[in-house]
Amino acid sequence: MKAYTITRDNLGAWLDALARDYTLIAPVREEETVSLFKPVSGFAEINLGYTNSTVSPKGWLFPQTEEMFFFSTGDGQITLADAQTPGPAVLFGLRPCDIKGILVLDPVFNGAYQDCYYQKRRQNTILVGLSCTRVERHCFCTSMGGGPTDGGGADLLLTEMDGGYGLEALTSRGEELIHRYQDYFIPDRDNRVTAAREELGKKLAGQFTRAVDTTGVKEFLDENFELPYWGELARRCLGCGICTYICPTCHCFDIFDQSPDGESGVRSRCWDSCMFSHFTRMAGGHNPRPTKKERVRNRFLHKLKYHRDRYNLDGCVGCGRCVTRCPVNIDIRQIIADLQEVARHE
Amino acid sequence: MKIQENLRETARKLLAGGEASLVIGYAPGSEVSRVVPAFISREEEVNRLVWNPLCINNLAKYLLDYRYEPGKVAVVVKGCDSRAIIRLLQDNQIIREKVIILGIPCSGLINPDLVAARLDPGAQITAATVSKQDFSLQTGEGTFTFTRDEALLEKCRDCEHHTPVIADFMLGEEIPPNDPGDPFIAVKTLEELPVEERSAYWDKQFSRCLRCYACRNVCPACTCRECVFDQAEPCWVAKANNLSENTAFHLIRAFHVAGRCVDCGECDRVCPVNIPLSLLNRKILKDIKDLFNVPTPGTSLEELPPLGTFTNSDPDEFM
Ligand code: SF4
Ligand code: SF4
Ligand code: SF4
Ligand code: SF4
Ligand code: SF4
Repeated sequence: MKAYTITRDNLGAWLDALARDYTLIAPVREEETVSLFKPVSGFAEINLGYTNSTVSPKGWLFPQTEEMFFFSTGDGQITLADAQTPGPAVLFGLRPCDIKGILVLDPVFNGAYQDCYYQKRRQNTILVGLSCTRVERHCFCTSMGGGPTDGGGADLLLTEMDGGYGLEALTSRGEELIHRYQDYFIPDRDNRVTAAREELGKKLAGQFTRAVDTTGVKEFLDENFELPYWGELARRCLGCGICTYICPTCHCFDIFDQSPDGESGVRSRCWDSCMFSHFTRMAGGHNPRPTKKERVRNRFLHKLKYHRDRYNLDGCVGCGRCVTRCPVNIDIRQIIADLQEVARHE
Repeated sequence: MKIQENLRETARKLLAGGEASLVIGYAPGSEVSRVVPAFISREEEVNRLVWNPLCINNLAKYLLDYRYEPGKVAVVVKGCDSRAIIRLLQDNQIIREKVIILGIPCSGLINPDLVAARLDPGAQITAATVSKQDFSLQTGEGTFTFTRDEALLEKCRDCEHHTPVIADFMLGEEIPPNDPGDPFIAVKTLEELPVEERSAYWDKQFSRCLRCYACRNVCPACTCRECVFDQAEPCWVAKANNLSENTAFHLIRAFHVAGRCVDCGECDRVCPVNIPLSLLNRKILKDIKDLFNVPTPGTSLEELPPLGTFTNSDPDEFM
């Protein structure tokens, strides 16, 4: 693993250069308490002072609305045309939990079944991580096997340190990117970058307000599908999709056509949510998850059990977004603790 | 804390005597700054109920979840929330005989973020007092005081009805109606901008809408059995998330709740990307007040929503 340092000024210049050569997606402060990942035209638009974007950056790899292909009919023929796929991109400034979120999505879209849309975007995108410098009130990545300076999964990891930033190349793709812009970087000869990152990690480890212990939760859920707990919890859920839309690992989608003239149009897909009452409604009207209880249970079983069953990965990375934004304080940290409690009494 | 004691005592009596089968109120949440909707059906659990300046959610909407259940449901409402009860009654969404309204005269709520910033998240509030100048929260670690100027929620600054407009039990001393001054200043400021600027303003807001529909799901004016936004056939608003569809969503929703929005502020509170929905809904509220000279919807059971009634004196020649 090779490490480099970059001055603050050079970081700005490098980002401007990246924005010229690639589609650059980076955190932008939309207003007081909202930051989002968006395409930017240079360093001036980027806000590196955020801890956790309001909506996770998954939307670059799995857009909320994505055109799949165009169709037209005529002379009894159907003609299809591919939708445009984006070119080379850099997803810049990803917090460690969000990088992990991408690793959680990978086996869904890029595992046994290859999703060509995701795959193309994933292949074309370089991931640049950014170590956290602060832990937010709802962060609990360390409980989910991550950490605020753990950039695993990124191509490059940037860490703020004395006089600028340290940059570690974690993959050959990261190494190539550094190479392409080598004038901006100074090779780190005495391991200062890694040492600074490790020290920051130690400092931040003490800042988490709440840790959770997931030990045994999956095994308990394996044996217990019906729990009165879900019914009680679900009473207050509004069935809005906030928690699923802002989450870095949720990935349900719906496919729909738009055809103003009935002859030609576009087929797209867009985010959907298991928390919506219509999500599992069948054409004949039957709904296998008829009430909030089944829907809330599904969401947490997906996070804590199903994803593990399928991919041996937790479906939650501990970013805390759903905890921050749920209007009725359905808090996954509390739910994990409650399930431990329920398990003790079973 | 008198109100909290009254609340617990009243809930206990209602459940013990079998008069209510469920009490919907507030209980402590997963951290000190959060209070959650609580559903209490057993007498032993009434001590979970709390009343403090963090009790922000409007609980009236939950009545819809229990409307077909046997037994009566008691629900805790503040002044603003009480208008939602009237709204639901006027639309026959709930039946008066089946609800017991536990009214709380409310002297204003505190901004939860400030509480979160100053108190240990694991702390428990043991008592709370609200005065004309400040909020005091007592915890095991001492008393924390916030001035009203820094901590009062914006919607509470403009509050019209501190005392619920409808209640079967009033759990505290009535607070006289407030004269908040002009609640439409923000709307007027926006109205005065040139149309291009107004348009740009809303474009910027609507373009980040996630279409999570939290604003709809929380809204006591949204009670349609099948919502227009969930209809696949005909497809009034496409699922595609873009400025044009998002704008259509917002305008349709604003018009659908026109004259029935009770100005409870819940849509504003829940939006995860801080879209200022109160500005939009208050613009319509203001227009309706100007045009029909009516109070805020939900203020009185007798006064029907202006857009939901017909009178012979309607000036529209077409009628
Ligand atoms: S858990 Fe919270 S955010 Fe998620 S659907 Fe329910 S109310 Fe909405
Ligand atoms: S479930 Fe919540 S905490 Fe976990 S990854 Fe999703 S948004 Fe973050
Ligand atoms: S959850 Fe961890 S990695 Fe994510 S923003 Fe918080 S501290 Fe950083
Ligand atoms: S709550 Fe906010 S983001 Fe969600 S649909 Fe309403 S306006 Fe859009
Ligand atoms: S539109 Fe907003 S303020 Fe009006 S009743 Fe609905 S939730 Fe309350």
